[in-house]
Amino acid sequence: MEDISLVTVVFMLPLVGVFALLFVRNLTDYTVRWLTLIVSLITFGASLLLLRNFDTSVAGLQMVHQWDWIDTGSVTIRYYVGVDGISIWMVLLTTFIMPLAILTSMKTIHERTRLYYVLMLLMEWAMIGVFVAQDLFLFYVFWEVTLVPMYFLIGIWGAEERIYAAIKFFLYTMAGSLLMLLAILWLGNEAGTFTVPEIIEKLNSGELSLSASTGRWLFLAFGIAFAIKVPMWPLHSWLPDAHVQAPTAGSVILAGVLLKMGTYGFVRFNLPMFPEASETFAPYIAVLAVIGIIYGAWVSYGQKDVKKLVAYSSISHLGFVMLGIFALNSAGIQGGILQGVNHGISTGGLFLMVGMLYERRHTKLMSAFGGIWKAMPIYSGISLVIVLSSMGLPGLNGFVGEFTILLGSAGSDVLSWWFTAFAALGIILAAIYMLYMFNTVFMGALDKDENKNLPDLNRYELWTLIPILVMVFAIGLQASFFFDFMDSSVKELVDQVSASAMAAAGR
Amino acid sequence: MENFFDLVPLVVFVPLVGLLINLFTGKHLGERGVGIVAVGASGIAFLISLLLWLAQVDTGYKPVVVDLPLFSDWISIPADGVEIPWQFRVDTLSVTMMLVVTFVGTIIHLYAVGYMHGDERFPRFFVYMNLFLVFMLILVTGNNFLMMFVGWEGVGLCSYLLIGFWFDKPGGVGWKNSDAARKAFIVNRVGDFGLVLGVLITFWTFGTLDFYKPDELPVAAPHAAEAAEEPVFAPEIPHEAEPHIEGPMGVFNQAEVWLEEGGHDVNFGMFSLSFESTITVITLLFLLGATGKSAQIPLFVWLPDAMAGPTPVSALIHAATMVTAGVYMMVRSNVFYHASDAASFVVALIGATTAIVAGFIAVGQWDIKRVLAYSTISQLGFMVAAVGVGAYAAAMFHLVTHAFFKALLFLGSGSVIHGMEHGHHHMAHGGHDHDDEFDPQDMRYMGGLRHKMPRTYWTYLFGTLALAGIIPFAGFWSKDEILLDALKAGVDDARLEGYLAFVLLVMAAAFTAFYMWRQMALVFYGKPRHAAAEHAEESSNLMVYPLIVLAFFSLVIGVINVPSGFPILGAIFGEHEFTSWLEHAVTYAHAASFNVLLASFAVVLALVAIYVARAIYNDRALETLGQQDPLELDERTEGLFAVAKAKLYWDDAYFRYLIFPYRRAAYWLAEQLDWRFWHDYVHKTVVQKNFHIATEFLTQPVDKGIIDRGFNSLGRLMQIIAQRIRVIQTGYVRTYAWTVLLGTLLVVFIILFPVIRGMLGL
Amino acid sequence: MFQVPSLSDLNVAAALPAVVLALGACVFLVVDLFVPRERKHITAWLTAGGLSVSLVLALLSLTDVVTFGDGEEAFFGMYIADQFTDMVNVIVLVTSLLGVMVAYNYLDRTNMQRGEYYYLLLFTTAGVMFMGAAGDLVVVFVALELLSIPLYILTGFRRPQEQSEESAMKYFLLGAFSSAFLVYGLALVYGATGTSNLREIWQAVDSMVAGDTSAQFLLLTGAGLSLVGLGFKVAAVPFHMWTPDVYQGAPTSVVAYMSVAAKVGGFAALLRVLVAGMPNFMLDNGTSAAWMDVTWLLAAATMIVGNFIAIVQSDLKRLLAYSSIAHAGYILIGVAAAGVPRVADEATQAVLIYLMAYAFTNVGAFSVIIAVERDDASNTGLSSMRGLARTQPLLAAAMAVFMLSLTGIPLTAGFVGKWFVFKAAIAADLIPVAVIGVLTSVLSAYYYLRIVWMMYFEDGDGEAATPRALAWAIGISAIGTLVFGFLPYLLSDMAREITLAFGG
Repeated sequence: MEDISLVTVVFMLPLVGVFALLFVRNLTDYTVRWLTLIVSLITFGASLLLLRNFDTSVAGLQMVHQWDWIDTGSVTIRYYVGVDGISIWMVLLTTFIMPLAILTSMKTIHERTRLYYVLMLLMEWAMIGVFVAQDLFLFYVFWEVTLVPMYFLIGIWGAEERIYAAIKFFLYTMAGSLLMLLAILWLGNEAGTFTVPEIIEKLNSGELSLSASTGRWLFLAFGIAFAIKVPMWPLHSWLPDAHVQAPTAGSVILAGVLLKMGTYGFVRFNLPMFPEASETFAPYIAVLAVIGIIYGAWVSYGQKDVKKLVAYSSISHLGFVMLGIFALNSAGIQGGILQGVNHGISTGGLFLMVGMLYERRHTKLMSAFGGIWKAMPIYSGISLVIVLSSMGLPGLNGFVGEFTILLGSAGSDVLSWWFTAFAALGIILAAIYMLYMFNTVFMGALDKDENKNLPDLNRYELWTLIPILVMVFAIGLQASFFFDFMDSSVKELVDQVSASAMAAAGR
Repeated sequence: MENFFDLVPLVVFVPLVGLLINLFTGKHLGERGVGIVAVGASGIAFLISLLLWLAQVDTGYKPVVVDLPLFSDWISIPADGVEIPWQFRVDTLSVTMMLVVTFVGTIIHLYAVGYMHGDERFPRFFVYMNLFLVFMLILVTGNNFLMMFVGWEGVGLCSYLLIGFWFDKPGGVGWKNSDAARKAFIVNRVGDFGLVLGVLITFWTFGTLDFYKPDELPVAAPHAAEAAEEPVFAPEIPHEAEPHIEGPMGVFNQAEVWLEEGGHDVNFGMFSLSFESTITVITLLFLLGATGKSAQIPLFVWLPDAMAGPTPVSALIHAATMVTAGVYMMVRSNVFYHASDAASFVVALIGATTAIVAGFIAVGQWDIKRVLAYSTISQLGFMVAAVGVGAYAAAMFHLVTHAFFKALLFLGSGSVIHGMEHGHHHMAHGGHDHDDEFDPQDMRYMGGLRHKMPRTYWTYLFGTLALAGIIPFAGFWSKDEILLDALKAGVDDARLEGYLAFVLLVMAAAFTAFYMWRQMALVFYGKPRHAAAEHAEESSNLMVYPLIVLAFFSLVIGVINVPSGFPILGAIFGEHEFTSWLEHAVTYAHAASFNVLLASFAVVLALVAIYVARAIYNDRALETLGQQDPLELDERTEGLFAVAKAKLYWDDAYFRYLIFPYRRAAYWLAEQLDWRFWHDYVHKTVVQKNFHIATEFLTQPVDKGIIDRGFNSLGRLMQIIAQRIRVIQTGYVRTYAWTVLLGTLLVVFIILFPVIRGMLGL
Repeated sequence: MFQVPSLSDLNVAAALPAVVLALGACVFLVVDLFVPRERKHITAWLTAGGLSVSLVLALLSLTDVVTFGDGEEAFFGMYIADQFTDMVNVIVLVTSLLGVMVAYNYLDRTNMQRGEYYYLLLFTTAGVMFMGAAGDLVVVFVALELLSIPLYILTGFRRPQEQSEESAMKYFLLGAFSSAFLVYGLALVYGATGTSNLREIWQAVDSMVAGDTSAQFLLLTGAGLSLVGLGFKVAAVPFHMWTPDVYQGAPTSVVAYMSVAAKVGGFAALLRVLVAGMPNFMLDNGTSAAWMDVTWLLAAATMIVGNFIAIVQSDLKRLLAYSSIAHAGYILIGVAAAGVPRVADEATQAVLIYLMAYAFTNVGAFSVIIAVERDDASNTGLSSMRGLARTQPLLAAAMAVFMLSLTGIPLTAGFVGKWFVFKAAIAADLIPVAVIGVLTSVLSAYYYLRIVWMMYFEDGDGEAATPRALAWAIGISAIGTLVFGFLPYLLSDMAREITLAFGG
């Protein structure tokens, strides 16, 4: 058992907060709120240290912390955490989004406060766990656990249809992940270990070899779980329910982090463990991804409810991410990962905006607005930036991601040119639905009386949005800083995939 | 003066600072303060451009690449050789653009201070204007396609913001403005779709997006010898077509190398393509981008609507600078276009057709700004066509001159509108009958403004003559050069598009003169047709002085590129100064020698057109409000006029065949397919319901004991047991017992099955 | 000539935990006579004491701190005192302790406070312990009856309430019915192998020539019938129909106990007979035991039926009855997996782990029902959970934990159990049944979560009474469920050394 690593610290901090909230007696709601916020901020700070201690030249896992957890004579299950270029930004995204989600709840959540914030911190804990866990058992544990707090968040603090949404979200995603459980068990039995690096190492050294068909089955078992989470078209049916019914913070977390767990899973597990299958399935997944891009954008345009529009736009954005990942080259994968972060930031931001609007007017129908810009200039100005980042305006974060992804898919050895061509249509369609939303809500004449004197952002709301703006510009103008962290890890991944593909071709 | 080049980032940053100041402190600065900041920012940018110009001259026109200090690294993925920096390029081409943008920009800022006076969002307006300068300058100074694209979309954004600037106008006008803004952005996005794809292919072809690497000179440029450095054109360049290997050169030189080697293939992951056809693909995709930004067929529809923005915007963005970005981009890529005859043909055709079509439509417009808008489209057509026939210098030349006189015309029209509104106000106060349908931009309400607004009139006249191409006004020189180059392309190089372009452009030129003079007649001559025109007054000096400055340049700017062999002027101002200046950056810029026949033909044609126009739109043609256009009255032309008035039904077609279906489909997808069918029907009905059916099926027999009905027929035996058990009410014990029995038999049978099979020898 | 064996020959010490408990039961039976009617909870305390002592002994022996007697066999191989026995003992003793706690106040308020309750409970427990330790078919049967008969009585303990008596009657009739099958099965096994001692059976089966069809025939039938008899006890489909009626009719405190204890006993015996007795009884295919296929078929049927029907239940006790049927299915997967020799140990351990997890979770769940149940045994409907989260936050939280554990959500004991069982199944290439297992657990999520949403998402005034003993029971169960969820190695280490294989 090595000495405790920073990763463990970052990972366990929220849990500490949970215990504090659970066992400290007679806390006032006020204290609970601020305590939670502070815990999440400390966690964020710690994760920044993670960034500082990160060695970009190392491809493998860093700041690893492991000890044998369960040892049944036959296999050992480890507590095995660490970060590498693939997960570091996911962790940062989580720790970055959570304080915002908490901040936005401060003024909006009034009932069962303590339970709410306990669940929030549990959520953060579980999500970080998903991204740092390097042992399949550990990973699966947190993968499933994330469902529980979200189930409560949607079910208790959600909108009218909340119960249906909550249960659907739970069952839909659980159905997918249980097949993954079987695949995990199968792998574990074969490999004699559940630790991902060891499994991969055994696979590469040929000590453990999967037949082509086995690889495909396992790929699917893992893939379906992830595809539902992403969600890839046509498995997206749970998303509009969950996103729309969830309370603002819930939607932010869902869009911001939960969906990324799916794409992350593909990169972390499917690509390195089943490279052959990845090559085989890449075109099919890319087809779904491209359909998702266009379908999502098109359907968004047909919405009347702002939140629903944003929800559907996620399908389109995540389509881009999937396309990038399955271009199976550095540009694509790095673009995919970064676009994941971008989507978390911009769509998270959009949900925050929608929430603030809802708080004021208690409706999400676009037709109820118009000319808001006149009434709430600051709010509208910030919204504009976020909208633009979401529709990929060059110089903002969204563009960097999408462009790199398109670059990847255009130069991919496994995808033919027309994937890129159709995916690029997304650039147009995004402009169509986003501007449709922006025009109908923010522009036009301010002709409805109830909108005439809406109050502009208050302090909390402003501070919720400023970090998002900062990131929007930071990533947009200095993407290379973010790519640097991924370079070596992704390069190794890509080399490994193509190598085993060569081997497969040789066979 | 070398180190002057390091100033180039400031060209971008000074306006940026300006806009930030106005954004955060604008409310407190007051109009004057905001105006000073904004105009100052753009003015300083202009001065820096001047310095860069001097530096260029001083260093023998040597192209220079300047890294953005501290943050030069933008996107980099070493594994795939992706290396896209924030890098500025100072060469004669970019400096030309900088000068035009900042100079015209400054003047228009100045004008706008007067024009926007009293608007409640005055500071916001100048924030946008400066923001526009920022992006426009990034566009023209970027040293790689992606940075250019940043500016490219950025200016699009500003255009969106400024067209929709008056989104809150009451009475539906606000909504119309917003829609116009959105239309502009989306149509441009369609073009960007092409541009992005082009850029992607470019990257995988050359492994880089840089125009030229630092210290790299455009090869095959005649004047390259003059420059200090030896040409980088060296034999030890890797010749294999490895898109993944980053070439040592910028795209253009690499292209030159491969082109002259020939027989060079590019492989994109799955398929490979000959280098020549790759170039054609790229250039055509770029063309799509240009048609969007520079409002060419088929994407020109957004520009006329863009006139919803305040007039200074129309002048700066939708006439002088932004819309010419497409032309700049194609001239920047002249190496590509020169290499691909197919692409050039298409470009020339599109340009020329746009020129004539827009010119035709302009004739049928009543809105003073719409006429100018279509005229802009038509002039841009000239430039694009010039690129098509390989006259890159001419294209740039026309771009420059057009920037001046078209800005002048727009500002003039703005002044007119201002005057009309002033008159309308005065009239309203003056207790005249206040008719509601008054449109300060409709030329039918005007007339006779020559006497009301003399200075505006004279400057406007200059602009018109320049646009019509009357010697010695600026327009004459540039337009003449384009026509000449087109003709030469036809005659010398026997290129079909040369002839086509020539014919179409000559007709377009005639149209230009015609509709412009129609406008002059309707606006300034004759008698006022409406009380507003009656009371119109000359605008404030702040608005008029810029007009005068621009008018002056519209007169003289042509001399920067006097064709060779032109009497007197050539001796004074030197010949082809502009072209030879450009040649240091534009590889295939070439000069055209003067042809007196063609020149005089063009001028005469224009004069004839003007005469005809004046003949038709004489002082008695329209005297009172609500009269029809003479062309409408004449049965020979009424059909044509109707078509022109309806803009060739182009927008209608788009609405009917693209937008409307798309929207309908969207609703269908959203409500029917995704929600009713996929979300509700499949998930609720099919999955849930069948699931419940299954549940029921399993529940009935076992739980509710339906089974024993089946067993009743099994015989009397159970009756006896039943008798016994009935003594106490025992639910379904019978059934249960029977099931246990059956289950047992089942279990025993299954477990014995292998043996039984064995015994039966199956 | 026959001579009376000495205690050392019998090696009674090895069976100490069980013996202590059995004797204790008898003693309390007498003591109780002198305990006045209104002070019966003294008996409760005594019982608890006895259980605790036995539990301590079992734990000591399980953790090898102390080894009682010499060697693993007592009573000439009739009683096997190995790690398996110890773990079974621990599980059942914990269950009984919790059982006593939940009964303590419940009996008062439903005026069932009678001494018999406790020593009957002790006898059952002893029965379970002997089943787990059975080294001989005879012991299996005797222990089964020792387990069953007190349960019949306890089921009908709520005299003169008709529902309770009726269910007792039902349980008794069908119980007797199925016991008959068991006896017959055991007899057939004896007939096939000529011995009733498991070790000898194992050897006999080992040396049984493949060709000997008649012997195979007998043995198979025997195995099948024992499967039926024990399957009835653990409520495996199609021998499960008594479960909902009995669970609904019997006093909830009894159900809380028996729902686990009966399963523990049944599965322990099943493992002894099938896995220890005839592991390598293979037919021509020769990769897995002959009884494997039928077992996993039963498992599949049990999971499907149990889960599907549970969904439409509106009464908590009935719902949990079907849920316990479903869980019998999951455990049966483990038993089936044990049919593959190389997986046998892993599977056995998995089963025990599952039972341990299930013990805490299920007793906990029923205790919560006890808390909401009214004195007249009413208010056990789903709707009784409405708004419990507001009125009884802690109780609701505990219930939520139990429900998540039953669903098999990670960080609860339930997940650990499922994990190991499925792992064994995969290792034994029982992929299809594993798939059925996971898919049905998705269904189960539906009805377990419905209880959670009743408590948390819906408004209502769910009333509940949690006297101290009950509160402790619920608390211990909840903590156990979570602790085993967070620290799974506690379970796996406990089971790690366990093997059923006879040495030599």
